[in-house]
Amino acid sequence: MNSTTVLEVRDLVVKFRLRGRVLTAIRGASLELYEGEALAIVGESGSGKSVFTKTFIGMLDQNGWVDSGSIDFEGRDLTRQRTEGEWMGLRGRKIAMVFQDPMTSLNPLVPVGRQIGEVLTLHKGMTKDQARSAVVELLDRVGIPEPASRSRQLPHEYSGGMRQRAVIAMAIAAGPRILICDEPTTALDVTIQAQILKLVKALQKDFGFTTIYITHDLGVVANVADRVAVMYAGKIVETGTAEEIFYDARHPYTWALLSSLPQLGVKGQNLYSIAGTPPNLFNEIKGDAFAPRNPRAQKIDFEYEPPMFEVSPTHHAATWLLDPRSPKVDPPPAIQAMRARYQGRAS
Amino acid sequence: MMRAPDAEAMKAIDSRLFEFADYDASAGERAGYSNYSYWRSTLGMFLAKRSSRLFLWMLGILLLFTFVQPFLPGQRDPTTIFNDPATGMQYRNVPPGGQFWLGTNSIGQDLWARIWSGTRTSLLIGLSVGLAEMLIGIAFGALWGYVRRLDRVMTEIYNVLDNIPTTVLLMLLAYIMKPSFQTMVIAMCSVGWLGLARFVRNQIVIIRDREYNLASRCLGTPTRRIIAKNLLPYLVSVIMLQTALSIPGTIGWEVFLTYIGLGLPVSIPSLGNLVNEGRMIMMSEELRYQLIFPTVLLSIITISFYVLGNAFSDASDPRNHT
Amino acid sequence: MLRYAFKRLSQSLVTLFIVVSFVFLLMRLLPIEGYFGDRFQKMSKEAIQAGLQKMGLLDPWYQQLGHFYSDLLRGDLGVSNIYRRDVPITKILAPRIPYSVGFGLVAVVVAMSVGLTMGVSMAKHKDRIQDRLGTFYIVFAHAVPLAVYLLFVQLYGTSLFKLPLLFDKYQPLSWILPGISMSLNGIAFYAMWMRRYMVDELSKDYVKLARAKGLSSGAIMVRHVMRNAYVPMAQYLPAAILTTIGGSIYIESLYSIPGMGGLLVDVIQRQDNTMVQALVLIFSSIGILGLFLGDLLMAFFDPRIRLVKGEGSR
Ligand SMILES: Nc1ncnc2c1ncn2[C@@H]1O[C@H](COP(=O)(O)OP(=O)(O)OP(=O)(O)O)[C@@H](O)[C@H]1O
Ligand SMILES: [Mg+2]
Repeated sequence: MNSTTVLEVRDLVVKFRLRGRVLTAIRGASLELYEGEALAIVGESGSGKSVFTKTFIGMLDQNGWVDSGSIDFEGRDLTRQRTEGEWMGLRGRKIAMVFQDPMTSLNPLVPVGRQIGEVLTLHKGMTKDQARSAVVELLDRVGIPEPASRSRQLPHEYSGGMRQRAVIAMAIAAGPRILICDEPTTALDVTIQAQILKLVKALQKDFGFTTIYITHDLGVVANVADRVAVMYAGKIVETGTAEEIFYDARHPYTWALLSSLPQLGVKGQNLYSIAGTPPNLFNEIKGDAFAPRNPRAQKIDFEYEPPMFEVSPTHHAATWLLDPRSPKVDPPPAIQAMRARYQGRAS
Repeated sequence: MMRAPDAEAMKAIDSRLFEFADYDASAGERAGYSNYSYWRSTLGMFLAKRSSRLFLWMLGILLLFTFVQPFLPGQRDPTTIFNDPATGMQYRNVPPGGQFWLGTNSIGQDLWARIWSGTRTSLLIGLSVGLAEMLIGIAFGALWGYVRRLDRVMTEIYNVLDNIPTTVLLMLLAYIMKPSFQTMVIAMCSVGWLGLARFVRNQIVIIRDREYNLASRCLGTPTRRIIAKNLLPYLVSVIMLQTALSIPGTIGWEVFLTYIGLGLPVSIPSLGNLVNEGRMIMMSEELRYQLIFPTVLLSIITISFYVLGNAFSDASDPRNHT
Repeated sequence: MLRYAFKRLSQSLVTLFIVVSFVFLLMRLLPIEGYFGDRFQKMSKEAIQAGLQKMGLLDPWYQQLGHFYSDLLRGDLGVSNIYRRDVPITKILAPRIPYSVGFGLVAVVVAMSVGLTMGVSMAKHKDRIQDRLGTFYIVFAHAVPLAVYLLFVQLYGTSLFKLPLLFDKYQPLSWILPGISMSLNGIAFYAMWMRRYMVDELSKDYVKLARAKGLSSGAIMVRHVMRNAYVPMAQYLPAAILTTIGGSIYIESLYSIPGMGGLLVDVIQRQDNTMVQALVLIFSSIGILGLFLGDLLMAFFDPRIRLVKGEGSR
């Protein structure tokens, strides 16, 4: 993996106005994205994963805005882009996005081929005829059988998996540098999920783009991600390589998240779920946002916000547990067991 | 790279803070979203809008006044024809102001008294129709939804009635029966209950299918809870909306039926009769007040009901709640 | 498409049959005075019975229905009793049809084009001045009864703009007010639904994706949203036709247009039963025709309907 940075987010704060009140959805998130890697952003529902990545293409809902922070991409600060015109040179062309539900992502009344073709005529300046044959090639590349006749069909004649393939074809059509997949497989059944993930992986190799996966599914992460960023209440609380996160996580929230993996559950025991609910984003949060739900929180967690501590050059976590003054806290048993299994395999 | 923590600031932190805190399992819950009550939310959203509060006050005061007006001192009878004691002639078309606040009509009746009396009549029709539509609509809707064998027949009945233009059906029914208060109410209910019945039927079918669907019963919330928590509030709010909207609708129909001669007898003041009387002389400018006064009051009433009904339906839609 | 149209047509015919029969049977309840007019007061009981007998009104209902249909197939709607005594109803109606159809079509076309444009513009400028003004108009047109605000159109149209008060087919200026009156309600209706559908469509995922592709909002509006919003609009065509019929009855009478709507008011006031029957049946049939056309239009715009909703009941 080379370590040229394609995109760097610093202290991003995103707010929304909702019925006269202001809520802070992203509260100072920082992240680096390296050329050619596959990064997964994981976190509970509502933690802000989608909002976070939407700021990269200027697609926050109307009631939201970037309050502070910066997003550096190709020498520009994306947070300073205001006009639709500036964004349009970027969206779909440089940074593309695939959304969760392929059933609703396509216009039900426009033939699939035409919807993909739009990207080509727009970003690559193709004529309609050129686009038409390029679309057929693209559909073929993403594994749609009989691409020529399929391209003339409407979305409802496609299966869910095929639709997601078409959406992916659309996303990569203009040859973007970054592909953001927001829960690309949640709406699909398991076998198709695997196929889609394999497809994206293969395409990434061929086209050389960088991928961001957003997902709740740590199984997906294990399959495809080089690096993982864990998000909680609008902050990135831990980043590291996939191995570091799975086998050497440091943040209590990451522990909780990992413990809720069904694969880790002991037979006969209830699935672990994280107690409590995420904080109300309307309120100001003092200290570590996860503290109220953390059974072993320290007093300081309620007072000061933890900084990012470095665990290794590739691994960072924002928890006071990493401060030398903190008492030693062992990860929960499930995590320890996993770590032991891993070490056993490694040696 | 990540910025290194500010060393100075870090050192300054009191090391006693690194002890464990007491864990309160419920604190994690409390930090999250507040508990939610459907009706409180609905009412809150409804009243949060300034226009809703304004119209609510206006309508409230108007309705109150309409019904206490006859008991206030100095009010005249709406049907008495007044004669000028000096000449012994009827007070015809006396302009507003002076002895008669809103003037008199072409046969010397007091317009002020007639307008309020007419409003009472029209509101009474409106409320009766609204209530009856509600009862019929719910009863038919429930039968239609629950009794599977009736489904085809009811659907056919619905289609037939839905295919005839309401205006035509209404005229026909009013024509078959003789003009009277009851006729008016019966005719209007017969065309109005359809929508509500269909709505109730659809809701019941949704629930009924859930009952039969074992999987969803096993997995999901118990049906009774769904009914109490989701369906009932929704149903009640839709019914309230329909009843609220049926009042402006009814007033409109009354005006129309009166126009074609199928309305209430002219001896009973109603908004329809007043508008119709006003219409006949509207081309003469100095008598136009006889049309304007009743229509202004009528419009205020219908607009208030319409706006409030819609504001309430918006507020009662759970998708709009925080 | 043809197969769907055919299927839908046969359905409509069945509905038509049921509706016509239903209305016909309902008509048997008409007050019997309406078959005799002024003579009724002076007639003896026996004479009345004889009269009813002669008109076939004492036969069992199924026989009457049978007669009615066999007459109908020969294009015979019976004769007028009072309005123009013993003149065949078809003869009375024939010259009136062009007026009603003309005004009706103009009303639907104007209402659609103005209303849809207004709805699109309101959705585009949601919460801004266009939207506010439009909403104000829609609320007004829906809340204040047609029978009331159309009076004011007539009143101020004639007093302020000096337009003719009554319809005169040789004077085009006199067509303006009734034309406008017929469209006003439809405009509000179309604008409201179009705005609602546009706003709905704009919040759909495919719009998000189209934006993420880099399409401009203008392109999304024209190529995706508007097109999709028109489809469900088609289903309101029938309802619009139904309300236009309702409105036309009032407006034709208000402006003395010699069409069928005004005639219905006339014959109700003069209690001419056979005329009422014929007109009510005609208006009901137009309603069903409207529904049929609306469904065809929907299917035309949205191919999914032809395949999925083949059953076609709304
Ligand atoms: N337009 C908006 N207005 C107000 N709040 C919003 C808006 N969009 C998102 N939020 C809030 O921001 C927070 C983060 O939302 P986001 O959709 O990014 O979560 P997520 O991590 O993607 O969750 P999920 O896994 O369910 O997709 C949520 O609490 C949400 O309520
Ligand atoms: Mg999301």
